[in-house]
Amino acid sequence: MSVADRLPKSDSERALLFGGICIVLGALLTLTPLRTTLPSGLYVFFEVGILFVIYGILVLGLNLQYGHTGLVNFGHVVFFAVGAYTVAMLSAQDTFAGIGLGFPWPLTLVVGVVAAALLGAIVGATSLRLRDDFLAIATLATAEIFHTLFINFRGIFGGNVGILGVPQPVKEFAGDADTTLLATLLLIGGFAALTFTVVTRLTDAPYGRVLRAIRADELVTRSVGKATFTYKMQSFVYGAALAGLAGGLFALYNGAVAPGYFTIQVTVTVWIGMLLGGAANNRAVLAGLAIIMGLRLLSRFALGVAPVSADAFASIRLVVVGMILIIVIRYRPAGIWGNAKELGVDS
Amino acid sequence: MGLAQNIIFGLVTGSYIAIAAIGFTLIYGIVNMINFAYGEYLTIGAFVGVVTAGMLPMPLPIAVFVAMVASGAVSLVLARLFFTPINETGPVPMLLTSIGLGLVLRNGIRLTAGRSGRYFDTEVATFRMENLPELSVGSVNLLGDLFITTQQLLVIGSAVVVFLGLHTLLTRTDVGIAMRAMGDDENLARVRGIDTQMIRDSVWVLAGVLAGLAGVLIGVQTSVSAGTGFNHILQILSAAILGGAGSPYGAIAGSYVIGLMLALSVAFLPAGMTGISSAIAFLVLVVVLLVKPSGIAGQEVREA
Repeated sequence: MSVADRLPKSDSERALLFGGICIVLGALLTLTPLRTTLPSGLYVFFEVGILFVIYGILVLGLNLQYGHTGLVNFGHVVFFAVGAYTVAMLSAQDTFAGIGLGFPWPLTLVVGVVAAALLGAIVGATSLRLRDDFLAIATLATAEIFHTLFINFRGIFGGNVGILGVPQPVKEFAGDADTTLLATLLLIGGFAALTFTVVTRLTDAPYGRVLRAIRADELVTRSVGKATFTYKMQSFVYGAALAGLAGGLFALYNGAVAPGYFTIQVTVTVWIGMLLGGAANNRAVLAGLAIIMGLRLLSRFALGVAPVSADAFASIRLVVVGMILIIVIRYRPAGIWGNAKELGVDS
Repeated sequence: MGLAQNIIFGLVTGSYIAIAAIGFTLIYGIVNMINFAYGEYLTIGAFVGVVTAGMLPMPLPIAVFVAMVASGAVSLVLARLFFTPINETGPVPMLLTSIGLGLVLRNGIRLTAGRSGRYFDTEVATFRMENLPELSVGSVNLLGDLFITTQQLLVIGSAVVVFLGLHTLLTRTDVGIAMRAMGDDENLARVRGIDTQMIRDSVWVLAGVLAGLAGVLIGVQTSVSAGTGFNHILQILSAAILGGAGSPYGAIAGSYVIGLMLALSVAFLPAGMTGISSAIAFLVLVVVLLVKPSGIAGQEVREA
């Protein structure tokens, strides 16, 4: 057998291998005296790249909920935020405002995932029976409620400043800034790849077929004896837990959380990434997200040469993002790589 | 400030939310979509009103009229461009398109008007001082130390006029009756010879006109910025759903409940916590969706 024959055949196995390699490399950079130097012109690629892999975990969770099961969660950012805030509040030391308990960070990451899953279970148990667009509104409102709480309960969540002093494990171990950046990208990218493996195995299994059957026709699925509500709950909670994981990793990378990181913009970005790529296809949603994040990258560069202020540029970018959303829904409702027939849309 | 004063604030807030919520709920009931970009129609109306009154400058009634016409036209054009073509695809694509459109409009306005709306702030000031001397200083002493400003009276009065006009429209005119028929059963309405596309267009225009009025009324009270409409959309949405999505009378009732809850929460919350009063509207929304998703007077929204 040649080496080529030993390489994994399926997407999920390739992602597992890739994720494993990323994590090993990231760990090597972090834990050994191995050092790296990056050209400073590439910093922006790494920063957007780290955001991409974090949002990648978000979009995989959202795709499980909407792409596979048809649950219209328009408050995805709230689970991201709850994961991040839980980790921040439990692990932060010397926080400027709000709670900082200083527990060890690996423990808090687990609690963050559980907290997001728990909120997912509460929101799901109460809202999953609603009609699609009302579910969207209920989840959106939940996200807005939490956003307001984060801003106003200063003593607990630190208000607009948020919570500072969250441990940054990679930074602490790796030492210099360049190594930290690369190691962070590798480690979180590894987590994203492993998430891809887990989600793809789940959705390729008969379990995923039930989810897609619910999306296509819940009544028929129920009539063949599937407990559709249980499946919908599980899908919703898994998606929420993944968002919590993404939030926790974000807090540990960023070293701080603040309400400004968790606005409806995050929800919109992952939704557009998912729709653009093609909902229900785990690879496509990541590709769609990459296009949207590429736009962010492009706008960072354009900002340097274009004669407009950063503020104006942010607005232009959002106008473009909004137009993309409108155009995709109108002309490619199944997304670029989506299966129009399977999704039941005419394109 | 006493409880009664807060109730007045609540009535004022309820009034402008109600004007907007009627338009929002008509779109929901007849076009069958949640239009998340609706808040931006308010912003457009407010800016057009402020510019007309402040820069030209024109008296307030003309500015209000121009704003209503402009928002109505914008609403119809946007509907024809973006919503009518995807009418058959179901509620979720429509909602997502409206979210995209909201992003485009909000940031387009921000690009032209600036982030803080500062450019127009001075216009707002002239608007008040030169054209509305009586509005900027006037207030009516109701009872003891209870006051209501003329601006607040203007808002409540406009709302009453809108309610009466709406009731007349829906019960006495062919267009209004056709709207109600379409809200009940679109296919049946079409079979009975109602020009459904024409009625849809009328609904879009009416909703836009109401948004324009609500926008100017909000603008007169405070200042106008690109975020004005977006800051109110969830209150409008809460009011419409609380009242029972699709029911204009329910929307009026829902708006006053939301308005009073917002105002009274300010009275009862400890100082420094008043910021969360904005979350109360959303909390009401979520609770209503869970407990009685059809609202006070609305259609069924649960599946199957």
